[in-house]
Amino acid sequence: MHDTSDQAAVHHHAPPKGFLWTHVFSLDHKVIGKQYYFLSLAAVVIGMVLSWIMRFHLAWAAAAIPGLQHLSQVGAPGGIITPEYYLSLLTLHGTLMVFFVLTTAPQAGFGNYFLPIQIGAEDMAFPRLNMLSFWVTFVGFVTLVSTLFISDGPPISGWTAYAPLSALGNDAGPGLGRGQILWVISIGIFCIGSLLGALNFIATTLDLRCKGMTLARMPYTVWAWFITAVLGLLAFAVLLPACVLLVLDHVGGTSFFIPGGLVLSDKLQPHSGGSTLLWQHMFWFFGHPEVYIAIIPGIGITSHILASTARKPLLGGSRVLVGCMVAIAFLSFTVWGHHMFISGMNPFSSLLFSVPTLIITIPASIISLNWIATVFGARLRFHTPGLFAIGFISVFVTGGLSGFFLAQPSLDIYLHATYFVVGHFHMVMGVAAIFGMFAGTYFWFPKMFGRMMNETMGKIHFWVTFIGVYCIFMPMHYIGLAGNVRRYSAFVDDYLIPLIPVHKFITIAAFVTGAAQLLFLFNLFWSMYRGKKAEENPWDSTTLEWTIPSPPPFDNFGGRHPIVYHDPYELGVEGAKGDYVMQDSPEKLAQS
Amino acid sequence: MSESTSHDLSKAGMGWFLKIWGVLLFLTAIEVFLAYEDLPLHIMLILLMGISIIKAALILAYFMHLRYERSTLAWTLLPAMVFVLVMMVVFFPDSVRIERLGEFLH
Amino acid sequence: MSESDITLKSGRADWLGGELPYAIPSKKLGMWLFIVSDSITFGAVLVCYAYLRLASPNWPTPFRLSSIVNGAIMTFVLLSSSVTMVAAVEAAKHGRIAASVRWLSATMLGGVVFDILHIREWLGLIHEGLRLYQNPWGSSLFGAAFFTLTGLHMTHVTVGVIYLGIVAIGFRRGKFTSDDVEISGLYWHFVDLVWMFVFPLVYLLSARMH
Repeated sequence: MHDTSDQAAVHHHAPPKGFLWTHVFSLDHKVIGKQYYFLSLAAVVIGMVLSWIMRFHLAWAAAAIPGLQHLSQVGAPGGIITPEYYLSLLTLHGTLMVFFVLTTAPQAGFGNYFLPIQIGAEDMAFPRLNMLSFWVTFVGFVTLVSTLFISDGPPISGWTAYAPLSALGNDAGPGLGRGQILWVISIGIFCIGSLLGALNFIATTLDLRCKGMTLARMPYTVWAWFITAVLGLLAFAVLLPACVLLVLDHVGGTSFFIPGGLVLSDKLQPHSGGSTLLWQHMFWFFGHPEVYIAIIPGIGITSHILASTARKPLLGGSRVLVGCMVAIAFLSFTVWGHHMFISGMNPFSSLLFSVPTLIITIPASIISLNWIATVFGARLRFHTPGLFAIGFISVFVTGGLSGFFLAQPSLDIYLHATYFVVGHFHMVMGVAAIFGMFAGTYFWFPKMFGRMMNETMGKIHFWVTFIGVYCIFMPMHYIGLAGNVRRYSAFVDDYLIPLIPVHKFITIAAFVTGAAQLLFLFNLFWSMYRGKKAEENPWDSTTLEWTIPSPPPFDNFGGRHPIVYHDPYELGVEGAKGDYVMQDSPEKLAQS
Repeated sequence: MSESTSHDLSKAGMGWFLKIWGVLLFLTAIEVFLAYEDLPLHIMLILLMGISIIKAALILAYFMHLRYERSTLAWTLLPAMVFVLVMMVVFFPDSVRIERLGEFLH
Repeated sequence: MSESDITLKSGRADWLGGELPYAIPSKKLGMWLFIVSDSITFGAVLVCYAYLRLASPNWPTPFRLSSIVNGAIMTFVLLSSSVTMVAAVEAAKHGRIAASVRWLSATMLGGVVFDILHIREWLGLIHEGLRLYQNPWGSSLFGAAFFTLTGLHMTHVTVGVIYLGIVAIGFRRGKFTSDDVEISGLYWHFVDLVWMFVFPLVYLLSARMH
């Protein structure tokens, strides 16, 4: 009869043969992790170029961007962006960055690669599902980018795709017909890929931990990926039907999100009965947990690297960090309305959302203070990953602080849809989360590729970026307070004209910071082939990924099943060889 | 007899499942009956939702065997799902806003 | 350092690593997680339906007695197919492969009958003038919400029938185990469970009262 005992064993699959099975449709979580990472890299490069185009236009609205007319004759005649095309580029920028960069690289990229290794497993719980998830996400990516090349361009409704603009089709504006439909399909596909991935992460973390790897002994990163996966499982489940309903409004003639009485170009629209607020509710119900999906892996990665950098675990250990991450995750489902304070939603709901939004700052603050207290008085190792981890603290706190203001409806009435908000979310998502990715890249590159990245280039990258992002995004808070509305392609109003010099400054800062990213890209690819050969444990770290060769063999642990005896960050231990004890080391600790 | 079942089948095979089936059909009949009683909408909603939740609980517990799994499984899955579903109820104040808009104009 | 370091308190042993904490195979946990997610998806669509209904002053209640009876029969069929599914899982666990496949086929038949009754009903309503974008009775959103919700459910039933077919064939050939049958059963019961909410909230609350 059927024996259940071997289901506790790790899922085996034989090493693949042939180019397609080894490099394209690989079941190996490490290959899949890299595939996700490079997909994100492609997305971030496109997103960054889009941001350069937008920033250029904002600083020099009348100037032509040479060659852009070849991308869109209608959107950029003579190379000068029309206001509508600016919105199209903005939509693509936001969508690419939020979904294909921030939701992908930190979780599906690094998580896929390192979660199984850090828990002592051979692979994820469902390797074939994992491979399928990647290729589904890839199809979503291609679908989204294809909107750049269709005649009308990407939709002008923003990554938030508010109804009724996003639901009315071609008559409402450029890109809102085919472009919007492609956008919705792309995001719907992305939802499916994310849901399947989340399922995999949760099952893997719960079921495939090796002997001795109790939940308390899991590294901070594993906790972060697990909590993020739970968020993903629950949140993407709501975005998916929202996308289905929006697509039906386009192709089925339905009016889910379209109220009656709308007149477009002197034509009364044949729709009625729908609710634009319903789209906002469904979208942000997903959208708020989504931004925590974007940042929690970065929090985990930063904590993980910080411990190694400071040569001690976080003050309070896993318990405080994990407790805070769980609190943030739970509360993230109660705050979505703070994106809707001025939408016309029931004003009593605003109170209901404002309170938990302020409460959610508490665990986030505890985490930040915990980091600072850990770093205080520590003998820090200032290598590039350490610098980005410490930099993360700075940018996360900065970005978070403006959140305190936006959490209050009375202030948000003024600040909503200004550059204050743009500054806020870019600091937390566009900077902090990216710093998490940089930190993770520099830290884990040796393990993934068997070589070290260049330290000098890394340090230059860090300092230019660190100073650069402050130059880009801090002034945005100022101009936001001055009333600078967001998603405007040109500033012709009286009160905006004096702010144009600030925009010029921001643009120049953006180009300089962008150049530093090119340096990073060069470092990344150059080091893959020419970097100094890396040892097994170049950072003197303690978690299981540092007990295997760089790069790891096909089945991670070479057929052995590790046994874990220690907490994940036994660093700065007196009397231990070096100053640390590996998690799987059988050596007893002096104090235990 | 089987030696493979990891759960404790404390009931006598199919008989029990047929009883549950009977209860589910009975509850469905009650719901259909209620549909034709001229009750106010919100009372109907509460009653129907309540009965549906009972039916769902029976299916989860017995047909899907959740009652006989480790209790941690149910405690892991159900509270999260219920929490998310309940949070969506906060959408509803906005569904009646057009009708009730006058209330805010004073 | 020995394994005595890993304390084995009763009940906690399953969480110490190297064990399955829920004592179920990972595949089964995966299906449960999928069910949690899909429940939330259906929940969101139901919330949309309720939201739009509450927002409409002219929500139609067009279901005649024949529709309600049809819906009740569909409920009966689906509930019965859940029982045959349970029988299939019981047979599978006891090693009675042929019996299990027979019960699986009965379950699939139940699903197909459900789909047929459902499509018949759809066609009837369409014949009366119900569309995604309009109907002769009231708010145009009724058709949109009705077809979307029931269509989503019917898709799940249809996918379920195909899924059960694959499992049945694979189980007979020895490729799948009784666990796979049980896991497919979870999916099937989930589809039934959703109908427990759809039927009263969509049909019964819109019964035509004369």
